[in-house]
Amino acid sequence: MSQQCDRCGKEPASVHYAEVVDGRLSVWALCESCARERGVATTLPSFAGPLVGILMGLLEDETLEETPPDAACEECGTTYADFRRGGKLGCGACYDRFGPELGPLLRRIHGSATHLGRAPSGFEGEFARREELKRLKADLRRAVFREEYERAAELRDAIRSIRRESGEGNDGDGSAQ
Amino acid sequence: MTGALSSIMREPAAWLSGSGPHSEVFLSTRVRVARNLDGVPFPGRASVEALERVRERVLDAIHKNNYLMNATVVSMDDADSATRQALVERHVISPAFAGCGEGRACVIGEREVVSAMVNEEDHLRLQCIRSGLQPVDAWRLLERIDSELDRNLQYAFSSDWGFLTACPTNVGTGIRVSVLAHLAALARMRRATSVLAGISKLGLSVRGFYGEGSAATGSFFQISNQTTLGQSEDDIAYTVERVAGQLVSLEDEARDQLMKRESARLEDEVHRAYGTLRNARLLTAEEVMELSSSLRLGVALGLLDDPALGTINRLLVITQPGHLMMAHGRSSGNAARDAARAELVRRELSGTN
Repeated sequence: MSQQCDRCGKEPASVHYAEVVDGRLSVWALCESCARERGVATTLPSFAGPLVGILMGLLEDETLEETPPDAACEECGTTYADFRRGGKLGCGACYDRFGPELGPLLRRIHGSATHLGRAPSGFEGEFARREELKRLKADLRRAVFREEYERAAELRDAIRSIRRESGEGNDGDGSAQ
Repeated sequence: MTGALSSIMREPAAWLSGSGPHSEVFLSTRVRVARNLDGVPFPGRASVEALERVRERVLDAIHKNNYLMNATVVSMDDADSATRQALVERHVISPAFAGCGEGRACVIGEREVVSAMVNEEDHLRLQCIRSGLQPVDAWRLLERIDSELDRNLQYAFSSDWGFLTACPTNVGTGIRVSVLAHLAALARMRRATSVLAGISKLGLSVRGFYGEGSAATGSFFQISNQTTLGQSEDDIAYTVERVAGQLVSLEDEARDQLMKRESARLEDEVHRAYGTLRNARLLTAEEVMELSSSLRLGVALGLLDDPALGTINRLLVITQPGHLMMAHGRSSGNAARDAARAELVRRELSGTN
């Protein structure tokens, strides 16, 4: 006796889907096409593109700079409107292009906007160096705030020497001084 | 279909063996990472030519990989719909990948412990599936393979946001750790809902699922991490492992209580299920799922000596439509398919007595 789809009521249900929203569990029996429309994968948890769109809507009030819908990534041509609609980025460069909007979005999705996991092997030295710079700069800001000028001078020298070692003149990771 | 692929399909995948830690509660653990090549549009924005070039580069790196050099490569262009469906049922590929177009491939390692999809939503989805509950071990193996691959593939990576993925929900570590739980006693005691609702508050997502006709008994659930950014892979794997470990205790406790309070009813249910599976002439996929759930609980509780957990786990996969279609052709109608399914189940279970 096969059960009908809870959503369309026509097709036989083949996917059983449970979701927990605000601590309440609801269970759905869906047919293949309704499951796909709802973004339910039958094997891996997939986070539907529309979810990202909804989150972006919520975030509109939080982002200061408004990216125009026709702003496009120079590398792959994905526009901000494409991203809003489908929830998918087109290439790695999109992360830079839409960076101002992505930060708050990533914080909303993940509760963080900073990677803490592993780095590709070729990147590890570089990654460690950037992490160290980030840490030193945060310490420097704290030292200045506390008016510990001797400590601040040490930190400034440490930052300069890391930059000199890597042959980098200016601020490599793009963050504000 | 190639000979290599058909021999893979005949052998049970290692993750179904029912031999890993806590196999009486957890069927399997799956860990996957999402990776993209630097400077190439993600598959959703790439031309067929670009996809083919990506496929070539990724497969080249895989052939040089110590763990995957002997893996079977299946070009999705060559796979018919029954094969694709069967690969979904074996958890080698995703349902979305089964419907994909040109320029795609999947890679299947020995006994399906490690496999990969090339050009799914991201250029590379690499996964490891183990029997029972072992998120940390599965991640360790995957990490070794991935760090060898990245010497030959330049991944799209940013120091702030980690591994860059098509969907921002995967960015950072790109890792998804999921465990498949059989919460038979909690479900029978109507406590699964509140337990799982509690788990969802810990930042893990819970889905009841298992493809066609599943979870009518409500006792198979998949639990996975929800976020991928801001925590290390180790922390994510440990969190899932710890929470799943708590679930084992809760389910064990519920099984004890069930045995104390309703042992006669439970024993009856288990033996009826076994009797039906060994004798029925027509079985729907849904029935197999429900009856196997009872049988699995009975074996885990020691109410039955046979069959082995691995046999029951395997039944859940090989009685799915794609596997039946591969064995019996797709033209057969529902009744013929139910008959073929019943025959397959009888044959699988007859060897165990």
